[in-house]
Amino acid sequence: MKKDKIIVYSPDRLIKIGFLNLWKEMFSSLFQSRELIWRLFLRDFSAKYRQSLLGVLWAIINPIITVGVFIFLNRAGILNIGETSVPYPVFALIGISIYGIFSTGLSASSNCIIGAGPMVVKINFPKISLVIAAVGQSIVEFLVRLVLIMVIFIIFGVVPKWTAIFLPFTLLPVVLITLGIGFILSLLGGIFRDIVYGVPLLTTLLLFLVPALYPAPSSGMLATLNKWNPLSHLVTGCRDLLISGALSNPSGFLVASILSIIIFLVSWRIFFLSESRIAERV
Amino acid sequence: MMNDSVIRVENVSKKYCRGLKHTMMYGIHDIAKNVIGQSSHSEKLRNGEFWAVNDVSFEVRRGETLGLIGANGSGKSTILKMLNGIFMPDKGRIEINGRVGALIEVGAGFHPMLTGRENVYINGSILGMTKKEIDRKFEEIVDFADIGDFIDSPVKHYSSGMYVRLGFAVAVHCEPDILLIDEVLAVGDEEFRRKCMSKLNEFKSAEKAIVLVSHSMELIQGYCNRAMWVDAGVIKDTGVPRDVINRYFRNAVGIMQNSEVKGRRWGSGDAEITDIRLFNHEGKEVEIIESGEEALFVVRVRFKKNAENPIFGILLRNSHGAWVYGTNTMWHDMKFATFHAGEEITVTFRQRMNLVGDVYYIDPSIAYPDGITSYDWRENALKFSVVTSKRVVGVSNLDSCISVQRKADGQP
Repeated sequence: MKKDKIIVYSPDRLIKIGFLNLWKEMFSSLFQSRELIWRLFLRDFSAKYRQSLLGVLWAIINPIITVGVFIFLNRAGILNIGETSVPYPVFALIGISIYGIFSTGLSASSNCIIGAGPMVVKINFPKISLVIAAVGQSIVEFLVRLVLIMVIFIIFGVVPKWTAIFLPFTLLPVVLITLGIGFILSLLGGIFRDIVYGVPLLTTLLLFLVPALYPAPSSGMLATLNKWNPLSHLVTGCRDLLISGALSNPSGFLVASILSIIIFLVSWRIFFLSESRIAERV
Repeated sequence: MMNDSVIRVENVSKKYCRGLKHTMMYGIHDIAKNVIGQSSHSEKLRNGEFWAVNDVSFEVRRGETLGLIGANGSGKSTILKMLNGIFMPDKGRIEINGRVGALIEVGAGFHPMLTGRENVYINGSILGMTKKEIDRKFEEIVDFADIGDFIDSPVKHYSSGMYVRLGFAVAVHCEPDILLIDEVLAVGDEEFRRKCMSKLNEFKSAEKAIVLVSHSMELIQGYCNRAMWVDAGVIKDTGVPRDVINRYFRNAVGIMQNSEVKGRRWGSGDAEITDIRLFNHEGKEVEIIESGEEALFVVRVRFKKNAENPIFGILLRNSHGAWVYGTNTMWHDMKFATFHAGEEITVTFRQRMNLVGDVYYIDPSIAYPDGITSYDWRENALKFSVVTSKRVVGVSNLDSCISVQRKADGQP
């Protein structure tokens, strides 16, 4: 027989148990879900590429095409991207891959609760595992793209800086902000389908407000936007580690990281409190 | 809390919402309230809301099997989902003592592209099993599901029976202390059903608690210690299954006649069935008949045109829609002289109602002598209930006399 703990369901129990107890419960629930998260992650991953000829290669086709279009526009003189410290394909591919964690993660998480179908309504399980597993897909995608980046490094004869080993730490805030926003979008997506349709569009638009495919301008409207956009700092920071060996704006990166952690924690709490509400509304 | 009660439900209520618009708005509103740390469960109904479950209290003890019955939409499934923690109650309190296993939807979370093996692991984790537990039970699960080599094929190639069997197999192997079952035993073939039932009996003898929602009165009667009839969100009756079911059937007739859509009606219309009534052997018009009692169906017919040797018939269906009995005047070799336009007649069918407890529907009809085209066919024109004093299962009550002889030479 398992633990003899009495489970109580009552309205607003989670709100009434107190601030710290709620955190405790959130962490223990997350810890208990680790196996489920892993299973769901494996499920999503294997289901995604099964019955597909190119399989995991799809993860690199998208950035190659996007960067290719930009190279073409640049060469044709339609766009003026400006000077980059490393060859443009290297620069852009890194940028778009890091940004991809965010954009793929959000699209996947906004859809994950609806996509899970009847199990959300019929089985009681921590739904946060769906979101984390969904964001996990974007991390896998990034890892695949990392291989592409290495190939490109070799092709253009660029040597990555040793600081690249810190990349996991600078990627963490990217993942956290993605999870944080993903939690909220998954909830909203469960209620309004608009979220599911709108998110890919919004992340595409947002791509142009982040210096992923272009070097950050030093003045003008875009510069202001970049400055106030935490994602800009996160993307730039990660790329700096790879190609310049030092953060170009450490304080910006720090603030953006702290902000990511706050967004993550607050959203997690909101998600935890609202989880059972979603089952009623999906 | 009583020592042996594993489920305790106290004055629990749950709101539901009809419209999609309201659902969306209230959903956002509730979440917004949670965000600022406020209660999102108010005791008042908002526009478009209703109490799907209203002030329900009950207890389930270890070793007990409780059956929930009631019409569709009466709140049975909502109660089950609250017991499972999928929804929180808006009022009241639920205490659960033990690990809950839910068979609310079998195979939910199966991914069609993945193999049975992969899906067993996924489904097991969703139901709260650890990898070790699943590893240990894997053979048993596959055995129980009886799907053989298909375990390594994608689930999308499964027949619906295999799909359900695998889902059920995973769910019953997660060793719950409390099992919640929602109308899932209705699937699968006879052999598998028997397997499921024996598994459930195992649970029962292991002193686990079961809450079962079903429309199968046979299952409720045969399997539960106690039945609870839920109607429009409130507990209407609770007690010994047979009594509760009988009272439910008595009530069901009235409700259905008021609310249900009449069946279809077809035919040339040259003769029409104007009325059909049910009388007991005392000649009193009734809606409920005791099983084995003699009863009369009286059909009134009006002819609009002359009719040569028509056929009068009835067809009985049970609550599952299965044909239970049908007869007509042609099969009784009855021939009639021409009925004239404007003539009104009554046709009486007298028979012993050797049926099991259920709600029945009757189609009266008049057909042309070819036996195929009809003057008038009225589907579900009358509904009535049959109640039994002795428990029987199946579709008919043969009312056996049973004797047992001890001596080996005892010839009947």
